[in-house]
Amino acid sequence: MQLELDKMLAKIKDSQWALADIDWDAPGRELVTENKELYPKLKAFMADLMWIEHVGARGFAAMAKKAPTEDLREIYRYFHAEEQKHANAEMALMKRWGMLDDADTLPEPNINIRLVVEWLDTYADDMPLSVLGSVIPMLEITLDGALCKFLLDTVDDPVCHAAFEKINADEARHLGVDFHVLEMLGHGPLYRQTLEFVAKLLDPRLMIGIASYLPLLNKMRDNLVELGLKEEKLYTAVQKYERIGGTPGGRRNPWFRLISRQGRWVIDRANRAYHVPVDALVKLTAKIPPRALPPVPTWVKQLTWKPAA
Amino acid sequence: MNDIRIPGFKRRKKATIVVDETPKPSQKMVDVLIVGAGFAGLGTAIRLRQAGVHNVVILERGTEVGGTWRDNQYPGAACDIVSNLYSYSFAQNPDWSRSFSGSGEILGYIRQLVKRFDLERLIRFGQNVTGMVFDEPAGIWNVNTADGQTHRARAVVMCQGPLSNSSWPKIPGLETYRGHKIHSARWDHGYDFRGKKVAVVGTGASSIQIVPELVKQAAQVKVFQRTPGWVMPRPDYVSPEWSKKLFARVPAAQSAFRELLFWVHESMALGVVWTTPMTSVMERLMRMYLRSEVKDPWLRRQLTPDFRLGCKRILISNDWYKSLQAPNCELVTWPIAGMSPKGIRTVEGIEHQFDCIVFATGFDVSKAGSPFPVTGLGGRNLDSDWARGAQAYKSVNVSGYPNVFLTFGPNSGPGHNSALVYMEAQIGYIVRGVGKLLGEDLAVLDVKPEVQKAHNDEIQKRLRRTNWNSGCKSWYLTEDGFNSTMYPGLATQYRSQMARFDGKAYRTVPMTVREPV
Repeated sequence: MQLELDKMLAKIKDSQWALADIDWDAPGRELVTENKELYPKLKAFMADLMWIEHVGARGFAAMAKKAPTEDLREIYRYFHAEEQKHANAEMALMKRWGMLDDADTLPEPNINIRLVVEWLDTYADDMPLSVLGSVIPMLEITLDGALCKFLLDTVDDPVCHAAFEKINADEARHLGVDFHVLEMLGHGPLYRQTLEFVAKLLDPRLMIGIASYLPLLNKMRDNLVELGLKEEKLYTAVQKYERIGGTPGGRRNPWFRLISRQGRWVIDRANRAYHVPVDALVKLTAKIPPRALPPVPTWVKQLTWKPAA
Repeated sequence: MNDIRIPGFKRRKKATIVVDETPKPSQKMVDVLIVGAGFAGLGTAIRLRQAGVHNVVILERGTEVGGTWRDNQYPGAACDIVSNLYSYSFAQNPDWSRSFSGSGEILGYIRQLVKRFDLERLIRFGQNVTGMVFDEPAGIWNVNTADGQTHRARAVVMCQGPLSNSSWPKIPGLETYRGHKIHSARWDHGYDFRGKKVAVVGTGASSIQIVPELVKQAAQVKVFQRTPGWVMPRPDYVSPEWSKKLFARVPAAQSAFRELLFWVHESMALGVVWTTPMTSVMERLMRMYLRSEVKDPWLRRQLTPDFRLGCKRILISNDWYKSLQAPNCELVTWPIAGMSPKGIRTVEGIEHQFDCIVFATGFDVSKAGSPFPVTGLGGRNLDSDWARGAQAYKSVNVSGYPNVFLTFGPNSGPGHNSALVYMEAQIGYIVRGVGKLLGEDLAVLDVKPEVQKAHNDEIQKRLRRTNWNSGCKSWYLTEDGFNSTMYPGLATQYRSQMARFDGKAYRTVPMTVREPV
């Protein structure tokens, strides 16, 4: 997939919207709040979704430092802010549905999100574009994409649909750029790609990142299944990553290969070699007391549901 | 005071130009017409008169002298070069109150120049130049002003300044904002910031001086940053009385101090202009300064530049980082999506609402075009000639535009030393050029195109190795990345290239038709 990045940047700038463009007090709130069965599950789901967007935002912030061209750097600056906007909008929906315990308190992240936040804060800026640029499309297409679609299939509130119409239009542009970069990352001699890949895999910082990322995916999958999402939908999303990313350049990118393969393992519950240790990690991480972690980084505190400040 | 009278500058007998110090009606011809009564214009007039050229007129579009320093009177405005070096060597001031003086004191110095050198009667205020055309047979420039006058001159010195037109950012919906708008270069001194919610757009040299002052007054200040700059602390101090007395009694002591300051700045070129081990050392020191001032890692990340030191202008401040961390201040790094009637919408979807927005967005620096239409030989137009980036010979003369001299013309900007050092070198060169023009009674003194081309090829070749051309976007470069702003070398090199007026580089045509004076 080849894009003209300067035109894409202009399109991104022309497609801006703000939380104030949506009437968060419009009728339809009761379609969620009065659904007693859905409501508690949706509260946890929305918190996860919001945090995933926020984690994605931090990923783009790190990529903005690595981008090889000025246009791509600027695009990532915008994507960082747009992912934050999505998290803000999702928080505004939670506020509308009475899911925030306190007007000024963020929804509590689960421990696996919390670990990924810590890792991003400490190491993301040290990771090369090849790693971040390969994993971000996977996160966007599977978690973000599948979660958003599921939400719209489940919730009838028209304000939720209005917000996600805008969010999905942004995400379509994100995926366009993501896969363009994925293709770009496959350029260059194969031996060099392989050597760099192996060298990076041995980087302890990345190992810690993988150890935070894998249980997050399994935990999210479990949450979604509990909420009623069919696993086939996740499978379809992973296939989409493989299909769109599997261009000649993409296939030469070892990170794409690894992440595609890992995506298949995640959705294949029969793969005990993968799931037994990763599920053990989920259980192990659940035992980490929150006070053992340092205070959340200040970039987290920039989240807000308020359209005006 | 130095004597800069030009050796051999004697008019030919047939050049019967009468030296007349009385103000002339504007339509009468003058020897030298200077556009702009800022630092450069006034300095040029002083040196021309000291060299024996008295028939000089200065056109000033404002109602007061001072140029950039007259316009930039925002709170906290100060020079980031030590005052002893940011002043003329031929007009030193022993009474600077601080090492880095504020804009009010600098403006006072400029006013003093006018008094001390009796320049007031040369200046025509309210004369906004709208264009100038060269009359080739007569060897005269016709300079038109907005009020319909035409001034005629043998030579024109363009001193309108690179930082004279304030620049509003290209933000969608700028005109829709209904609150109060202030540009740093056109400060509204009547606006009361107390209790107000204020935005400052931009984090360049003006902003880092304005924000610390606004934080003291306003209820809330949000600073919108696109790119963080490298910041170094300013060794500011109140001038002790003994040094003022010493400099007043022994001017040589002040000259020696000035020389010391010159070489301190000159040594910084090794880190600022080119990438050397010293660049890395300086970057490390500035990172250490940032770390010592800002404890929060995320804010520190937001304030850490991702370009090489020197690629953009280095910012100098002692209170910038402190101000950003004040309880009533917040740094916003989200890209600006547009403006609304109540404030600024950023891409993270939030509308930041304000009573007042301060635009510290700098100046519309003319890098690819002339400030007003200039028509030279054969009807050629400077705007067209400079469409792909401005070029000149030694930053002062442009081929095809005889008898015109520029101050702060193409590739004359310093990144590490005082602008006044460069300005003095330019003025010296201009005085020599004017001396040749008048002394030899020339109708045309025009730099040869091949000489200009060779000079610029060399400049551009040298620029490729400098930090300014190392990949960042800055106001030094055109949209296409062409650098027509900076001089790629030491101030010493620049002074050296300007020390000699090489007549062979110019095509000359003697005056055959004389206009009655």
